[in-house]
Amino acid sequence: MNDIHIKGVHEAYFVPTVNFEVATGKCEIEGESYLEETTKFYAPLLAWIREYIDTVKGPLYFDFKLSYFNTSSSKCLVDILDMLKNYQKKGGEVTVNWYYDDSDEELEEIEDFIMETGLQINKIPLE
Amino acid sequence: MEKRDDKYDFSLYEYHNLLHQNILVSYKGPIDERIMTVIGENIEIVTNDGNDKARTKIFKIFMELAQNVWLYSAESCKTISGKQLGMGTLVIGEFGNYYTFVTGNVVKNTDIEPVIEKCEIINSLDRDSLREYRREQRRLANQGKPNSGNIGLIQVALTAESPLDIELTPVSDEESFFSIAVKIKKTNCK
Repeated sequence: MNDIHIKGVHEAYFVPTVNFEVATGKCEIEGESYLEETTKFYAPLLAWIREYIDTVKGPLYFDFKLSYFNTSSSKCLVDILDMLKNYQKKGGEVTVNWYYDDSDEELEEIEDFIMETGLQINKIPLE
Repeated sequence: MEKRDDKYDFSLYEYHNLLHQNILVSYKGPIDERIMTVIGENIEIVTNDGNDKARTKIFKIFMELAQNVWLYSAESCKTISGKQLGMGTLVIGEFGNYYTFVTGNVVKNTDIEPVIEKCEIINSLDRDSLREYRREQRRLANQGKPNSGNIGLIQVALTAESPLDIELTPVSDEESFFSIAVKIKKTNCK
């Protein structure tokens, strides 16, 4: 199983920076997410998490630092959070940090992700 | 000057003056990712009055509504490479203490009813219920339930913190012009 490293791009579409590490279980998605084919972009990320949960069975530390994501991306983010919640339910160690700008709307969005998935997410204001 | 019968009867000056009053950006034509990039950058420039939150809100609203025109307009054109692009109109205005964002496009009368129903539901809900509705609709979309999809309009109402002002004007027996306008109060963006 390999690490995932995707360099963020801000052109006609916005590709987030993605770093998933097998050895440490540290995962980060940061930047902006507005993609031509959202589901196609997130499918390998979801597959990576599934494989890590099935084979490595180690802890997962997720850092989300997204300054912008469209509604289509939010559906895929919920899929990731659902997967993490299920892993946690089965005894997996999961830590999720969500970094946000000083805005009520962003804070509401994180709270809604928490309510929607039942996953505990640490809300961390960006400095 | 003698008036010619075949003279092009359109005053660009009047059109310019009309747009000049409070209008920051206006666009009519096909929409695709390149046009969205250009308009998106334009929005950043014209709303750059130090109110970053207002700018972010307008950008987020633009991304959702322009995408809807691109994908769902009944009036479309084809690029040389064969890509189908929806056509529509988009206007961003600034009026004292608020910005307005309006998009409009031609729709098939048979397709628009569910969209209007959705807008009416959105407008009837307070903020907490609207958030609940977004969670519910996103959950249904993720479960692949048909007709659940688009949470963009809910997002627009939440971001704008204002109702969706919709207007439907018949253009023929089969089609109408559908527009959605939202106000973004500058005082909500401090």
